[in-house]
Formats: sequence, structure tokens, C-alpha cells
Amino acid sequence: MVVPNMASRLLMSSLRHLQKIPKAGMSSGHSKIGGREVVGYGFNGQPNYVDRIDFPLPAIRFKENTPDIQALREKEKGDWRKLSLEEKKALYRASFCQTFAEMKAPTGEWKSVVGLSLIFISLSVWVYMGMKLFVYRPLPDSFTDEAKEAQLRRMIDLRVNPIDGLTSKWDYEQGKWK
Amino acid sequence: MFRSAVCRINTVVKGITIQSAARPLTASQRCMSKHSTETDQEFDQRYETFFNRPDIDGWEIRKAMNDLCGMDLVPEPKIINAALKACRRVSDFALAVRFLEAVKDRCGAKVKEIYPYILQEIRPTLDELGINTPEELGYDKPELALQSVYEM
Repeated sequence: MVVPNMASRLLMSSLRHLQKIPKAGMSSGHSKIGGREVVGYGFNGQPNYVDRIDFPLPAIRFKENTPDIQALREKEKGDWRKLSLEEKKALYRASFCQTFAEMKAPTGEWKSVVGLSLIFISLSVWVYMGMKLFVYRPLPDSFTDEAKEAQLRRMIDLRVNPIDGLTSKWDYEQGKWK
Repeated sequence: MFRSAVCRINTVVKGITIQSAARPLTASQRCMSKHSTETDQEFDQRYETFFNRPDIDGWEIRKAMNDLCGMDLVPEPKIINAALKACRRVSDFALAVRFLEAVKDRCGAKVKEIYPYILQEIRPTLDELGINTPEELGYDKPELALQSVYEM
């Protein structure tokens, strides 16, 4: 009876530990956002700010509520037609970091990717040439043209694959290719 | 030890049989079907009425907008109208502009066909509430550069 009891106690204590984890994560998340207002549900349930095209409205505002932003928010409660273009843009940037156009703007990173790939490919060609010149032995005799011709001659003499392969194309009566 | 094990199994089995006997009474509808029977009109209606709720708050607006942006569709102009009016009720100008940007992005490759139509349909609401399109704010082109966090 002692062993199962101990096992269950261990299980219970580990479960208790598990229950504590989300709470701890939540509090640390809140401590990181400073004075920024939590305005929604984050994409992973945490109060964080990420500009994402598939989840455009993050959980918190991008900027903290400074007094001038607070003043703008008071003005925002009135008629929006009375806001100037600058105030509207300031309001947008207080809530969000990047616009969609900025999120999707090309970074030009592909240039460095292509350039580095070409550099490494050319390096590997140089390495191969170095190996060819200084490391590898010359190719064996069987790679010479005479040796290859002799090999072919012997395969014909042995009638290799006579039905639909090599020597089916050889005319044995006239001694040449069909 | 054996007896205690049997007792435990007995209680577990009893619990299962009681549960399975009770299940037909409580669960009349299975909430696990993948296939939605909702028509497009009902879908539009559902989101429109959701945005039209008078006591809607910013959390709910953001939730519905994020959901809409996660689906393979461009919201109907009437949904957008309702959403913009909901933004007005919670006094969040940035939210309205961001949603318009998201809708434009949802148009995908057909942005030249769909987006002008949407703008034409929501123009009265935009004028009534004083909302500017992203183009009027200059957000159709990148405005500010963002320094990479790896180079700070």
C-alpha cells in the first residue's frame, strides 16, 4: 500500500505544480508591457504586441499612455471629422507599430541570400578543383577511350542483352550497328 | 490490497456507467461536426448583428475582426459598415483604419477589382463618421522604416 500511495502523492504534487504554470506566465507577461493598455486577446492568449497580417489587432497598444496621447484619446471621443490628419496618424501609431504596407515592404534580404549562395557555390567549385589537382589520383586506365572500346567489343562478343538491349542493335552478320 | 483495487475499479466503472446512462439526456447535440451548415447570408448576418450590438466592447470587436482576417474571405461591405460604426461607439479610430487595411489585404490578388467596390459601398459611412481610408492617411505605401531588433 505504501508504493501506490507515494505514487499518487507524487502525481498530485506534480499536477498542482502544473496548475501554477499559466498563472506565473500571465503575471510575467503583464510585468513586461509596462503602462501599455491591454485592449484585446493576444494570438496566443498572452498580452503581447506583434504586427501580423493574419492577426492584425494585437492584444495591447503599441505605445504607453503618455499625457499627450491621453489628451488625443479624449479628443477622439468627440467628432472624428474634427481631428486633423496628423492627429489621426498619431492615434494610429499609438495603437499600432507598422502599417500593412510597412509590414509587407520588401526588405531586400534576397540579395544577400543570392549573393552568399553564389559565393559558397563558387568556393565549393574551387575546392573541387584543388582536390582534383592535388589530392585525387589520375583516373584508372579503364577510363581511356581504347579501354572503353575494348570493353564494348567484348560485350558484343559475349552477346550481352540480345533481345532488347545492347547487342540487339548489333548486326552480327555484317559486323556493324543496325 | 487486492480488495482495495477491486473497490476502486468498482467505483470507476460505476461512474462510467452512470455517466453513459446520463449522456443521452443531457447532450442532445454533438458539438464536434466539422461541416458547417451556415449559409453565406447567415454568416454575414451573424457578423453584422454582432458588430451592431449596442454594448459591444473593444475586446469583442478585435476578436471578431481577427477572426474575419483569419478566414478565407473578404468581408461584405455591410459587415465593414457595422464594424466601423462599432469602432465609433468604442471611440477607437486606429481600430477602424487598421480594419480597412486588413480588408484591403484580404482582397489579395484581386485588390484592384474588390477594393474599389468596397470603398464605394462604405463611402457614406466613412464620410458620416469622419474615417479616412488608409490611402488618405498615406498608409498605402510604407511611411516609416523599422530598425531591425538584431541591429539595435
